[in-house]
Amino acid sequence: MSNTAQNFRLGLFVFAGVFIFILAVYFLGNRQNLFGDNVRISSVFKNVNGLQMGNNVRFAGVNVGTVRGITILNDTAINVDMLISEKTAQLIKKNALATITSDGLVGSMIVNIIPNDIFIEERIETGDTISSISKIATADMLTTLNTTNENAALLTQDLLRITNAINKGEGVLGALIKDEALLDDVKKSLSNLQQTTQTAKTSMFELNRIIKEVNFDDNIAGLLLKDTVSVRKLATVFDNLETSSKEIEQLTKNLNAFSETLKTNEGILNYALHDTIAVKNLDATLKNAEEASERLNENMEALKHNFLFRGYFRKLERQEAREERRQN
Amino acid sequence: MADKKSFLKNIGSFFEEVGDLSRFAGRFFKEAVSPPFEFRELLKQCYYMGNKSFFLVAVTGFILGVVFTLQTRPTLEEFGAVAWMPSMISISIVREIGPVIIALICAGRIGSSIGAELGSMKVTEQIDAMEVSGTNPFKFLVVTRIAATTLMIPLLVILGDFIALIGSAIIENMKGDVSFQLYFNQVFDALKFSDLMPATVKTFFFGFAIGLVGCYKGYNSKKGTAGVGKASNSAVVYTSMLLFIIDFIAVFVSDLFYS
Repeated sequence: MSNTAQNFRLGLFVFAGVFIFILAVYFLGNRQNLFGDNVRISSVFKNVNGLQMGNNVRFAGVNVGTVRGITILNDTAINVDMLISEKTAQLIKKNALATITSDGLVGSMIVNIIPNDIFIEERIETGDTISSISKIATADMLTTLNTTNENAALLTQDLLRITNAINKGEGVLGALIKDEALLDDVKKSLSNLQQTTQTAKTSMFELNRIIKEVNFDDNIAGLLLKDTVSVRKLATVFDNLETSSKEIEQLTKNLNAFSETLKTNEGILNYALHDTIAVKNLDATLKNAEEASERLNENMEALKHNFLFRGYFRKLERQEAREERRQN
Repeated sequence: MADKKSFLKNIGSFFEEVGDLSRFAGRFFKEAVSPPFEFRELLKQCYYMGNKSFFLVAVTGFILGVVFTLQTRPTLEEFGAVAWMPSMISISIVREIGPVIIALICAGRIGSSIGAELGSMKVTEQIDAMEVSGTNPFKFLVVTRIAATTLMIPLLVILGDFIALIGSAIIENMKGDVSFQLYFNQVFDALKFSDLMPATVKTFFFGFAIGLVGCYKGYNSKKGTAGVGKASNSAVVYTSMLLFIIDFIAVFVSDLFYS
C-alpha cells in the first residue's frame, strides 16, 4: 500500500477519533452550560442535603442549569451558586423560590426553582439571590416517624390499661358493661329520655304551627319584623319616653319637696294658704296703700308747681333732655 | 536458604530492571525533543498501530457493550432500576472498563508486536547495523513507536468506548424499547467532565507504557530467537501489570482532584 493511501486512512482514523471526542466534550459542556450565555444566580439554604457541584438545576421540571459553587457562609447559611442558560433565565422572575430535592427516591440532589404565586415583571439577572424554602428531608421524616411511633406505643399502653380496667368492671364504662342493675337503670333512663324528647318534639311542632298561623302582614308585629325604619322610629320614641319619664319623676319629686316646705314653714305663702283673717287684713292694707299712693302723687304734682321746688324739677328736666341728645 | 537467595535475587533483578526502564524512558524524552524528527516513520507506526488495531478494538468494544448490558440488565430489573441502565453502562465504560480493556487488548497486540519486532532486529543485529550506518536506531525505532502508541491508544479508546455504547444502545433498544436518542440523552445526562477527562488523560499514559515496555523488552532482548519470544511475552505481561498500576494511580489522583 502506498504511503499516500496509508496517510489517508490514518487521517480518517484520527479525524474520527478526534471528532467523537470533540462531540462528547461539546455535549457534556452543553449539558453543564459551559458554552453560550449564562446567568449566574445564587440562593442561601440552611441545609443543602448533600448537594454537589455539577448537580442539575430544574425549572418547572426541565433541566435549565447546573450548580457551580457551594460556600458555607456561617453555621446556618450555605450559599449555592447556579449557572442558568440565559434563554431560560428570561422566564424566571426575581421572586422565584429555590428548593433542594432528590431526583427520584435514590437519585442525586437537584435544585428546583419554583415560580412564585405572586406575579411580578422583573426577571432574574446575574448576581441576583433568590429566596429559598426548605423541604422536609428524609432524616426529618424519619425523626417525625420516630416520634409518632413513640406516641403510638404510649397510646397502645394506655388503651391496654383502659381495656383491662373495663374488663375488670372498673370505672363507669366497666360498670356499664359488667353491672346488670346499672345497665337496667341506664336503659330506663334512656327510655324516659326518649319519651321526653318525643314530648318536646310534639310541643315544638305545636308551637311552630301556632307561629305559622299568626298573620304577621297586617299587624304591628309584622310591621316590627319587616319595616326597619319604623322599628328605628319606635326605638327613638321609646328613648324619648324614657327621658321624659325620668324628667317627670324629677319634677314630681321637686313639687313634693316644695309642697312639704309650704306645709311646714311659716312664710307668707303658708299664711296665704292657711290663715283667712290674715288674708283679709292683708287685702285691707293693700287697698289703704293704693289710696295713699294716689294722694302722694297729687301732693308731688302740687310740689312741682310750687315756686320753691319748681327750679329743681326744671333742672332735672334739662339734664334728662341733654342725656337723650347725647345718646342720639 | 536457596529459596531466600533466589527471592532476593529476583527482587534485585526487578529493581535493576525498573532502573533500566527508567533510564530507557529518560533517553526517550531526550531523543524525542532533539532533531532530526522521524515524522514519516511516526506516521507509518501510527497507521500500523491505530488503523490496523481498529477492527480488533471495534469488535471488542461492541461485544463489551453488548455483554455488559445483557449481564447487568437482569440485576437492575430485580430492583426496578432498568431506567438507570444507560447511566450505569456509560459511566462504567467511559471511566474504567473501556480504557482498561482496550489498553489491555492493545498491549497484547501492539506491545507484543513491538517486542517481537525489535527483539528480532536486535538478535539479527539489524540495530547494530543501523548504528554502523550512522542512523540513530533509538530515534528511528523506539521514539517513533512510543510516540505512536502514546497518540493512538487514546483515539482507539475513544472509538472503542463509542462502539461499546452503540452495542449497549442496540441491546437496550431491543430489550427495553429505549430509542437511540433517549439512550444517548441519558448517557450524556449521566456523564460529566470529571468522568471523561481523567479517563482520556490516563489513556495517554497507557499508550506510553505499552510503547515503552514493548520497545524496552525488544530493544534489550538477548539469547537468540528464544529471546525474541521471551521479549514479546514479557512485554505483554509487564505492560498489563503496568497498566493496572497506572490505572490505580490515575483513579487515585482524579479522585483527589474531583473530591
